[in-house]
Amino acid sequence: MSQVLQSLFVLGSTHHEAPLEVRERMALSTEKAAKLQQELHALDQIRECLVVNTCNRLEIYGLATDPAVEDTIRAHLCASNGVSRELLDAHSFWHTNLDVLQHAFEVSTGLDSQMVGETDILGQMKNAYADARKAKCTGSVLNRLFEKSFQAAKSARTQTAITRGQVSIGNVAVDLANRIFGHLRDSRVLLLGSGDVAEKTAQSLKSRGVADITVASRTFENAHSLAHKLGGAAIEFGDFAPQLKRFDIVISSTAAPTAILDRSMLGAAIKQRPERPFFLIDVALPRDIDPEVDKLENVYLYNLDDLSSIANENLELRKAEIERARTILKGHVWNLWLQLRRRTLLASK
Amino acid sequence: MLNEIAITDRDALAIGAAIYSAAFLFGLITLLIRKPYSHTIMFTLLCGGFLLQTLGLNLRGAEIKACPLGNIFEITQFICWSFVLLYFIIGPVFRLRLLGFFTAGLAAALAGVSLLAPGWDAPYPPGIFGGNPWIELHAALAIFSYAVFAIVALVSVMFLIQQHGLKKKQFKGVYQYLPSVQQLDLMAKRLLITGITVLSAALIFGAVFWINNPELVPKFKLAATCLVWIGYLVVVILRIQKKLVTRRYALASIALFLFALASLWPIQSASETKVDATPVETSTSER
Repeated sequence: MSQVLQSLFVLGSTHHEAPLEVRERMALSTEKAAKLQQELHALDQIRECLVVNTCNRLEIYGLATDPAVEDTIRAHLCASNGVSRELLDAHSFWHTNLDVLQHAFEVSTGLDSQMVGETDILGQMKNAYADARKAKCTGSVLNRLFEKSFQAAKSARTQTAITRGQVSIGNVAVDLANRIFGHLRDSRVLLLGSGDVAEKTAQSLKSRGVADITVASRTFENAHSLAHKLGGAAIEFGDFAPQLKRFDIVISSTAAPTAILDRSMLGAAIKQRPERPFFLIDVALPRDIDPEVDKLENVYLYNLDDLSSIANENLELRKAEIERARTILKGHVWNLWLQLRRRTLLASK
Repeated sequence: MLNEIAITDRDALAIGAAIYSAAFLFGLITLLIRKPYSHTIMFTLLCGGFLLQTLGLNLRGAEIKACPLGNIFEITQFICWSFVLLYFIIGPVFRLRLLGFFTAGLAAALAGVSLLAPGWDAPYPPGIFGGNPWIELHAALAIFSYAVFAIVALVSVMFLIQQHGLKKKQFKGVYQYLPSVQQLDLMAKRLLITGITVLSAALIFGAVFWINNPELVPKFKLAATCLVWIGYLVVVILRIQKKLVTRRYALASIALFLFALASLWPIQSASETKVDATPVETSTSER
C-alpha cells in the first residue's frame, strides 16, 4: 500500500531548469507527446501516466509500481525528443509523492509559471488531463490529483492577489482600454506597422471583442497579410492620417526614424470627435508618436516603457503573494495526501 | 404610529449620518488596503442610513405637518436623502463602480455638516408654503434636481480621478475600481440633461406661484435660483454642441453644484426674512 504512494512521480523540465535553447530541443509535438504517454502507460511498472507539454514545460506525471522507474522514464523521454541523457539530466527535476502533489498544485495555480499567476497554464493542465483521461492513461490517483489541483488553484486564486493585475503588454493595454472606453465592442483599432508586440497587443484587444482592426504598413503586402491574420482590413500607409478620426485605439510600431503622429494631426482628429477619447499605444523604438500629444485633452498616450512598468509592478505584486498562495495550497496538498493514503489502504483490503 | 417611536427626528437623522459615515469609512479602508469593497455591505449600510434618514424626515414632517423644507438644515437633509434615493435607482441600473462609496462620502459630509451647524435648524413659522400645492411641487422638484446635480458632481469627481490616473500612468488603488472615463463622461451628460429638465419644471411650477403672488417671492431668491438654472442650461447647451466636454465639463459640473449649494443659504435667508415680514395669518388664510 505504501509502495504505491511512494512511487507517485513527476519528471519535468521547465523554464526554471532549462534555458530557451534547451527547451526548444526538449519540446515535443502534440503527436509525440501523446505517443510517449501511451508508451509509458504500456510499461508494466507504470499504472497511470500523464504528459503536460507546453512551451515552457514538459512534465511527465505518473504512478509507478516500482520506485526505481526513473531511469526507464528518462530513457523513453530521450528517445522521444532525441536529446542526450546528459542534457536531460542537467536540465530536469524528479519529484516523488508529497512533492508531486505540491508541484502539481503550484503549476495549476500558476505559481510555477514564468509570468507568475498566469491563467493559461490551468487551461493547458486541464487539456492535458482531459486527453490523458480520454486515452485511458490515468486512473483513480492521477484523476484525483488533477481534479483536486484545479480546485486548489481556484481557491488560491480567489483568496490571494496572485492573478491580480495584468503582466503581459497586450493584457495591460486591454486593461487600459477598459479604463478608457469601458466595453470595447464599439472601439476601432488602427495598427501602424506590423511589429510583433503591436500584433500581440492587437490580438489581445481582438480577443476582448473590439469592433474592428485596420492595419496600415509601409509595405502593403505586410499590412494585408497581418490584417488577414487579425481578421481586419488593410489600408495604404499614406491614407491613415485623414482617417485617424475614425479610430479609437492606435497601436504604432513602425521603424520610422522620426514621429509619424504629432500634436497637430491628433489635435485635428480630436476636434472632429471631441467626446470620444483616443488611446494611443506607441511600441516603436524610436517612438512613433510625439510625447506632446499626451497633453491634448481626451488623449491617452502610453509607450513601451509605460506598459512594461505597469506589467512589472503587477508582477512584483503577484510575487509578493506567492507565499500566501503556497500556504493555502499546502493545506489542500495535505488533505489530498491523507485521502490518497486512506484510499489505498481501503483498496488493498 | 410615528408618535409611538421613542426617538427624536434629529436623533434619527444623526444615526443616519453616522451610518453613511460608516459606509464611507468602510469603502475608504478597503480601498486603502487595495481590495475591492463588498457591494453588499456598502449597499446595506447605505440602506440603513437611508431608512434612518427617512424616519427622521418623516418625524419632522409629522411634527410640522408639511414637507420638511423650511430651513437650511431640512433642505440639506432632503437633498442628501434625495441623491441617496437616486443612487438606489441609477446605481444598480448603470452599474457604476464606486458610486456607492462616493455617494456615502457626500451623504456623510452633507448630513454631518447640517447636524453640526445648529444655526441651520432655525425655527420657522408653520405653513411656510402657504398650503399651495404648486409651491410644494416646486420645492420637491427643485430639491430632486439638486439631488441629480449632486450625483453629476460625484460622477464628475470620479471622472477627474480616473482621468488623472490615466494621464499619470497610475494603475493601482482606486483607479482600477473606477468606471471608464467614457462611461463616466456619458453618465454625467445624461444626468445633467435630466437635472436641468427637472429644475426647469420646478421653475415653471414656481413661476405659476410667482405670477400670482410676486410680493411673496424674495427677489434675491429668484435671482439666485435663475442664476443656477442659467448656469446649468449654458453648460448643457455647450455640452450638446460638443464645445464643453470631458475635463472642463466635469469641472464646470462640480463648480456649479458647489455654487448651487452655496446659494441655498442666501436663498433661505431671503425666504426667512420674507416669512418674518409676512404675517402668519396671511399664510394660514391662504390654506
